[in-house]
Amino acid sequence: MSDRVQDRAPPMAVAPPSWREKMEPWFFILPSVILLLAIGLYPVIYTLVASLQSWVMGMGPPSFGGLQNYAHAFTSSDFGHSVLRTLVLIVITLPIELALGMMIALALDSQNFLVLRRLLQICLVIPIAITPSVVGLLTQLMFNQQLGIINHLLGYIGIPALDWLGRPLSAYTTVLIVQIWEWTPFVALVLSAALSTVPQDIDEAAVLETERWWPRFRSIQLPFMWPGITAALVFQTAFTIKEFDMIYTIEKGGPGTATETAVMQIERMAFRGFDVGLAAAESILMLVLSILLARIYIRVFYREMD
Amino acid sequence: MKSWSLGLATVAALYAGVGHAHAWSLKEASAPYKGTTITVVGLDRPSYKIAQQLTPEFEKETGIHVHWNIFPYEDTLKEETLNFISNSQQFDAILSDVVWPVNFADPGWVLPLSKFTSDDKLADPDLDLKDFFPVWLASFTVDNKLYGLPFDSYAGLLYYNKSMLKAAGFDKPPASWDELENTYLPKLSDKSKGVWGYALQSARGETQTADAFARFLWPWGGRFIDYDNKTISVNAPNSVAGITFRQSLLKYMPDGIVSDDHSQVVQLFAQKKVAMITEWSAFYPTLAASNLGDDLGIAPEPKGPKGGYSAFGGFAYMVSSQINKKHQDATYLFIQWLTSKAMAKPLIEGGAVVARQSADEDSSVQAKFPNLAPMVDTWEHSTVPDWRPQLGCYPRFSDIVSDWGSRIELGQVAVQAGLDSMEKDLTGYMKSSNCWGKINNPEAAMAQYK
Amino acid sequence: MSDLRAPLLRLLQAVGLVVTLLLILFPLYWMVTASLKTENDLFSMPPKWFFAPTLAAYADAIENTEVLGNLLNSVLVTVSAVALGLLVGAPAAYGIARYRFRGRRDVWFWYVTNWMLVPVVVLIPFYLTASWLGLINNPVVLILVYQVFIVPLVVWLLVDQFSAVPVALEEAAQLDGLSRVKIFLKISLPLVKPGIAVAAILSGIFAWNDMLYAFILTPSPDARTAPTVVLNYLGGYVIPWPQVMATSTMVCAPVIIGGIIVHKYIARGLTMGAVK
Repeated sequence: MSDRVQDRAPPMAVAPPSWREKMEPWFFILPSVILLLAIGLYPVIYTLVASLQSWVMGMGPPSFGGLQNYAHAFTSSDFGHSVLRTLVLIVITLPIELALGMMIALALDSQNFLVLRRLLQICLVIPIAITPSVVGLLTQLMFNQQLGIINHLLGYIGIPALDWLGRPLSAYTTVLIVQIWEWTPFVALVLSAALSTVPQDIDEAAVLETERWWPRFRSIQLPFMWPGITAALVFQTAFTIKEFDMIYTIEKGGPGTATETAVMQIERMAFRGFDVGLAAAESILMLVLSILLARIYIRVFYREMD
Repeated sequence: MKSWSLGLATVAALYAGVGHAHAWSLKEASAPYKGTTITVVGLDRPSYKIAQQLTPEFEKETGIHVHWNIFPYEDTLKEETLNFISNSQQFDAILSDVVWPVNFADPGWVLPLSKFTSDDKLADPDLDLKDFFPVWLASFTVDNKLYGLPFDSYAGLLYYNKSMLKAAGFDKPPASWDELENTYLPKLSDKSKGVWGYALQSARGETQTADAFARFLWPWGGRFIDYDNKTISVNAPNSVAGITFRQSLLKYMPDGIVSDDHSQVVQLFAQKKVAMITEWSAFYPTLAASNLGDDLGIAPEPKGPKGGYSAFGGFAYMVSSQINKKHQDATYLFIQWLTSKAMAKPLIEGGAVVARQSADEDSSVQAKFPNLAPMVDTWEHSTVPDWRPQLGCYPRFSDIVSDWGSRIELGQVAVQAGLDSMEKDLTGYMKSSNCWGKINNPEAAMAQYK
Repeated sequence: MSDLRAPLLRLLQAVGLVVTLLLILFPLYWMVTASLKTENDLFSMPPKWFFAPTLAAYADAIENTEVLGNLLNSVLVTVSAVALGLLVGAPAAYGIARYRFRGRRDVWFWYVTNWMLVPVVVLIPFYLTASWLGLINNPVVLILVYQVFIVPLVVWLLVDQFSAVPVALEEAAQLDGLSRVKIFLKISLPLVKPGIAVAAILSGIFAWNDMLYAFILTPSPDARTAPTVVLNYLGGYVIPWPQVMATSTMVCAPVIIGGIIVHKYIARGLTMGAVK
């Protein structure tokens, strides 16, 4: 007899719900809704309004500018390029994080090497626990061409000292590497948890059937992991788009604008150029993009919410 | 009856006049403000550290409590601007970089100092404005009104490693950029040994604009702005010549220099991997305390074909206009005290740099702090108050310069093409933001202070 | 299959685990050792693997900054923010998990949208609003602002946890005459403890590590939270690396220790929609 919620008619469906019963869910939900509305709604409306204004802090009061800021955001190569950089960041890091995370999750799932596994499981939480701005500073320290430890270690295996932070492409690569380092363990945790939901009996039966790893993974484990994978995708996309502290402390978006993501470009417009109108328009565009991506993910992958 | 009371009034007035003539003292002047708390903006740099250490003296004397708010330089303008926009009265004493006076004065966010210097009760007769170097007062004068009292003043200096130079056959530093490149650098740079002749801090942001770009503009006769014609001149022939020169230095500099900021360059020099750097005078305490010891040499920056123009930068304290009168007066008393002649020596001893002629030209002080003599020389002869233009729209202006300047330095675009693009963007921005109406020419104010 | 595959796979597995462990721990090791070295030791090439450790950097950090006070601020803000988030988020998750009502999907999606809100977008309006309310430099402002990403996270994590609670238990209690609220509190909530632990530690990590909001909304040195202290070093002309690393270690230690303590729950409680 299954205990799954979906298999049983919810208690409320037995009789046509009364007014009181219809309002019951809202009783539980309302406090959070009110809280989030109070805190979140006004800033978004403000940003929307500001995006339609021509306003540079300190250069006179705001005036209505219509869609000028949006036009400027689209035609300005700065913003467009930074969005591109962000998307490329996502497209490259996500699959790698998923693949590596999956491998780690699978390695943790076996019965061997108890001590090692335990140790690793404990340590998986460390990279996201370290403050991102500290991670950026550490990167500066470790990847420095002349005085950093990374180049020194590479020297042991015969690779000459690389200019990690000085050239645009290698700086971008450094950001990719650090991003992967920071988030793969978290993805591994999510996937590991998903893996643990595979029912024991089914899994044991599969092990008896075949010693080969791939079929077992594909037919038994993977189906149970889809929700976890989806969650990891949504989380990681959001985290990558929002990532600011770490990339900023590595090199403030440099050299030039090589490592400047969309969020950093907006911050630069808002707080160094003081062009609030433009920054607001770009922010709204980013918000729309995030919502679009979230919607796509959930529609394509997430089957839980029926 | 009338004449008697009139006589009494006259006598009373005379007594009042006599009463006013006695010496001004900080204690008396601050009496009405006892118990007030003022917030002062500062940076994490030596001058402010020693200022904080000495602040209790002021607090004891006046009963005014001083609260220091320290910010990273990159965020100071943001914090102060947000403060003004929202009228949150977070800060009383406003720290202004040489490039910010128009930002603060134009919207009326800070007060002209004449408001206080003309007030007998507050003005210290010993303030002696003329004791400040003229170039410093001019920098903070907008529309012929002085807004700030200079504090934490820099000059660009040439730091060189004496023994490294000696080993290459030089017993004195280069006097010109030409000499530096053609005579010194070939002998000082040896990539195989990981040793370079020169390193230029070029990181994105203000460092690129002020340190890596402006430095190679002025000495070649290049300029950011043509004030008379109201045009941008970063792509004029002189400017192009200067930036081209900069590009030719790159082969003698460590790889990845374009992403190096002050900290990395100073560290490279302290670790003896670089023989010469042109950095801010503020680094003297750090370098003096490093392993370099007696090897540390200091000189004014090299001259260019059109003269000596060293880097110019620094700060001043202004009074916020958004706070109430009590706070305004208390704040003025503090910044007057901090930048006074009396406080100059203790500050210098503590590692600060102040723009007071009396203190900086004192021979005993100069003997103890070898960085002072070249600084004085620079401020008097080889620098300009608008090393970077004073514009209301400076932040974004600097951003554009920094962006293209970095790209040119990275070799992503040729010098002329890059400068042309920079000029195009700057011209467009100046027009779209109406910035030509918010420009200040401090050079013009120099006359009134000389 | 063949006898060769099994031990080969085992070897691969062992190597993989060790390599991953080293990669994760090396930067942490580097940070901590950097905090115990002098500046000269830190930058000496070749690197000094063996050195005389010193606590000078820690002493400097404590003396030169308000790091201890800031750590306290961080604790206050993080604990309060997480508590508030759980307080309003847990019931919300229950509501979504247990009831089929109109707009259920949209409400859930609205939470996710909130969470995707990029901080930079709303920074200026937050600052202006907080300024008008006189809340600048008041920790309350951070506690409220963090709800924007804590509540959605709590809801997301707990919806599935609540769904996994057997309905039979709740129905039995209902027949016994317990009200919905009592059922929630006495039956369902205790059963999702792992989920609550995970929600707490994850939102705690993000609240603790937030730098952007904290820097803008509580800029005063004594009101600041711990991560912003690190940022301060960036602005100084010279970066005192050992001191920076000492501060960083102090800032990261509580979160890392917290994460290690509850690591067991993370594995169990991080199931998101995995219950079918």
